[in-house]
Amino acid sequence: MELDAIPQPELDQIERVGSADVVVGIFDLERLEPNATAIAMTREGLAGFSQPLRAMVVSTNGAHGHAFSPLESAGDEKLSVFSCALPPPGPAETQQQTISNAYRNVFAVGERLKVRACSVLVSPAQMATREWIHRLVQPVLDLGFDLVAPCYTRHTMEGLLNRSILSPLHRALYGEQLENPMGPDFGLSGKLLQHVLRQESARRRGAAQFPPLLASIAALGGLQICESHLGVRAQRPTDWENLSSLLADILGAAFLEMEERAAYWQRVRGSKSLPRFGSRGVPPPDAGTVDLHSLVESFHLGTQNLQDIWGLILPPTTLLELRRAARLSEDQFRLPDQLWARIVYDFALGHRLRTISRDHLLRSITPLYLGWIASYALEMKGAGPSEVDARIERLSKAYEENKPYLVSRWRWPDRFNP
Amino acid sequence: MWDEVAKALSHSMTRMLTQIADLLPGVVALMTALVISAVLAWAVAAILRRTLVSFDFDRRMAQWGFPSTAEWAPSSSPTVLLTRVVAWTIVLIGFLIGISAFDGALPSQFVVRLFTYLPDVIASVVVLIAGSIIARFLARSVLIGAVNMNLQYARLLSVGVKWLVTVLAVTIAIERLGIGGGIIRLAFGILFGGIVLALALAVGLGSKELVSRSLERETSKTASQSFKEPVGHL
Repeated sequence: MELDAIPQPELDQIERVGSADVVVGIFDLERLEPNATAIAMTREGLAGFSQPLRAMVVSTNGAHGHAFSPLESAGDEKLSVFSCALPPPGPAETQQQTISNAYRNVFAVGERLKVRACSVLVSPAQMATREWIHRLVQPVLDLGFDLVAPCYTRHTMEGLLNRSILSPLHRALYGEQLENPMGPDFGLSGKLLQHVLRQESARRRGAAQFPPLLASIAALGGLQICESHLGVRAQRPTDWENLSSLLADILGAAFLEMEERAAYWQRVRGSKSLPRFGSRGVPPPDAGTVDLHSLVESFHLGTQNLQDIWGLILPPTTLLELRRAARLSEDQFRLPDQLWARIVYDFALGHRLRTISRDHLLRSITPLYLGWIASYALEMKGAGPSEVDARIERLSKAYEENKPYLVSRWRWPDRFNP
Repeated sequence: MWDEVAKALSHSMTRMLTQIADLLPGVVALMTALVISAVLAWAVAAILRRTLVSFDFDRRMAQWGFPSTAEWAPSSSPTVLLTRVVAWTIVLIGFLIGISAFDGALPSQFVVRLFTYLPDVIASVVVLIAGSIIARFLARSVLIGAVNMNLQYARLLSVGVKWLVTVLAVTIAIERLGIGGGIIRLAFGILFGGIVLALALAVGLGSKELVSRSLERETSKTASQSFKEPVGHL
């Protein structure tokens, strides 16, 4: 992989370092931290290992006036830390592009240094602590896992896209129960890193999404996956006006991946839980109240106006059930799990068949997603963490139960229309 | 005198019969051209229908944003409509070829003018089809965007955009055909202005709603410093 984004002096220094055991990428997408902060975090995060380690830190340089920070090493015999600072992201870059570039650069440096483990943190720096680095790297170096996926401590109304779609969909497709299949903070082995880069070079040039979903690559390659509790992750304020863009970005990537790996996931049955390290911790108290009225109103507006578009994607029985849900009073409003799972599957199928423009399709799911949030919020009013877990488990089961429906529609989209 | 009358009549009859005899090959040629074009039209229509059915054209038309072709021809599916258009076009071309077989100057001029007009007709049809596709695409984009912004006037906005583009396309097509002249421009101006005014009103009213909602949210934030948006997606 090319190291296009890394300045020449930094490249020379990477060449001089020659090899390393670990590469750690630390990128705060909201504010630029000085490179020294990333180095200090990494040093503290890796200090607990008994074996001697050489580590390379890749981060964006937030210190003005420096094109790069000098190569440095902690004089410790057991731990040597070197650093490589990247130029800050351009003003026109989207968050998704910044994450893609961050991963691309860390993987490229990791490949050049032939590392044994790699860790990438893209969560806000005030939350990502040195323990996170340790928790993501330790299962790889000490226990031989290939992918360490994150588990965050969240309150009931956080991580809803993960809870409602990404996690149960990954579980039903690949048979692995992961809380956050799309991370974004990951630890991975050198073996998986090489695997990803090989796949990337085999793909057509200029593929937009990088890295491809690491969890599905690891599942396909039969690699060892585990989860690690990282703690509380700061939540970005919801930008309601651009929610449909977020859904289009995230679901577009997930559905594309689903299309590419169809031959594999159609053979997978059931699911298994994965080793999980650390303890969940106490979630922060729920902040504020959910504006249920506007969520239900958005759903109603969608059912009134988007029937024609949904009619091209969803079968008549699903449309009927949606109309029935729209007639319920606000406090009785529910979107059953079986219905929600089939809706997500139908949208994935519509995306594959290009039933309508993909952008239209992905954006038209927004009122349904808001309806699901309203239904979930009503059910989970005053619920504790264990009840939330049980609720998400029921939803995941519904995804698994409806997988035959997905497989049938995927194989015979014209013939199978219940 | 009677001899001269008889001679004149005989000349007239001979001239008439000669003219009829001159026309006869043209008529036969016209009939032949019509028969051949009808047979060809039937064959092409049959092949086209079979191809379109195997291609599942009717369903695809609905997917491409033409679910309402039944509105134009209630008894016909898009496949039947297209095959009929192609068949009648072939018959028309056969008829024009037959007409040009007549030796007279008038039919030839008619055919030449018709053929000169044909590129304009084709251009108009292309403009209409492109306009229809763009109108439907934009209408869908506006509808989804407006619903996601919680605008109650989403459908009105979407229909407005659809008609705006459709009116523009129809006007360009009619202008290209050279029909109507100034009246068309005037009618277009009135229609376009009317739709823009209606849209401006709808957007204005919709924005009022949006702005008031946004202000309400801001007010509640400042009223209670502890307010936090509790919903997170990733």
